[in-house]
Amino acid sequence: MDGHSRLVGWLKVALPLLALAILSTLFLVARTIDPEAAIPYAEVDIAERIREPRMTDPAYAGVTKDGATLTLTADEARPEAEGDGSAVKVHAQLATPDGARTALTAGTARVMSRDSKLLLEGGVLVATSTGYELRTDTLTLGLDRSGAESAGPVEGFGPPGQIRAGAMQIRQAPESPGTYVLVFNNRVTLIYQPH
Amino acid sequence: QQATVAFGGLKQDTSLPVEVQADTLAVNQADGTAVFTGNVLVGQGDMRLTAGSVRVEYGANGTAIERLHATGGVTLASATDAAEAREAIYTIASGKVEMQGDVLLTQGKSAISGQKLVIDLKAGTGVMEGRVSTVFVPGGN
Repeated sequence: MDGHSRLVGWLKVALPLLALAILSTLFLVARTIDPEAAIPYAEVDIAERIREPRMTDPAYAGVTKDGATLTLTADEARPEAEGDGSAVKVHAQLATPDGARTALTAGTARVMSRDSKLLLEGGVLVATSTGYELRTDTLTLGLDRSGAESAGPVEGFGPPGQIRAGAMQIRQAPESPGTYVLVFNNRVTLIYQPH
Repeated sequence: QQATVAFGGLKQDTSLPVEVQADTLAVNQADGTAVFTGNVLVGQGDMRLTAGSVRVEYGANGTAIERLHATGGVTLASATDAAEAREAIYTIASGKVEMQGDVLLTQGKSAISGQKLVIDLKAGTGVMEGRVSTVFVPGGN
């Protein structure tokens, strides 16, 4: 056997041993992977979640008896006693069967399931499809029967012009059910600038 | 027959802002018609129009108010003149106020009554029509 085949014979033994050594070190020296660290929640978040269960980006949709759909989304919602709940940074939309849309934005909302009302607080913006944009402090929406009512004064503007009123309601017109009216009461003032 | 009436007191600029006050305003959500009800007071310049209810009628493009249709006993008053009727239509752009139904116009001591009174606010003139009868005190005003 000449030098070349002796060399090959030795290599046939040495090279696999070398491969085996490299392979084993691969697992011995590798960094230990901690599966726990992969979750993005911080420890405090988990503790808080356990103490106060809440939902992020909740969405609520419902249809009232008279066929109006109410959809509501918020940044965060917390359940409270007997089925009530509160939510933060709320966007709601009321679509009444007569085709009108009312978009509502509020700082906070409280669902009172006992008398099926939704109380929007912390400054409420109301935008109706008839072109009215109004601001008021609090607004109570019916969850079973579609309708909305502001507790205090409301101001804003609409197609006729600037409007201020003592209170505001959205409800079915008593004399013609099926048509919905946006009612300003407690003395309303409108300023129209002819152009 | 007709009587043309000078309406000095009511001559005014119809591009002034119109302020409407009422107890309630109901806006139909489907087509946007707006109706003021409950001692409605419409003011523009020194003209005051009070009525039981006022319906807002929009122009073709739907944004500008074209007419105010006042019903339920209307009184139109200015510094010196006052007119009463059952209903009135005020077309803002043209400055025309059309009063109908037992119209009574009082200017100082004299009074004119008829069935229809068309007032042109811009020109400050009015035309009374329909069984016009007038009472005036000679040398009164």
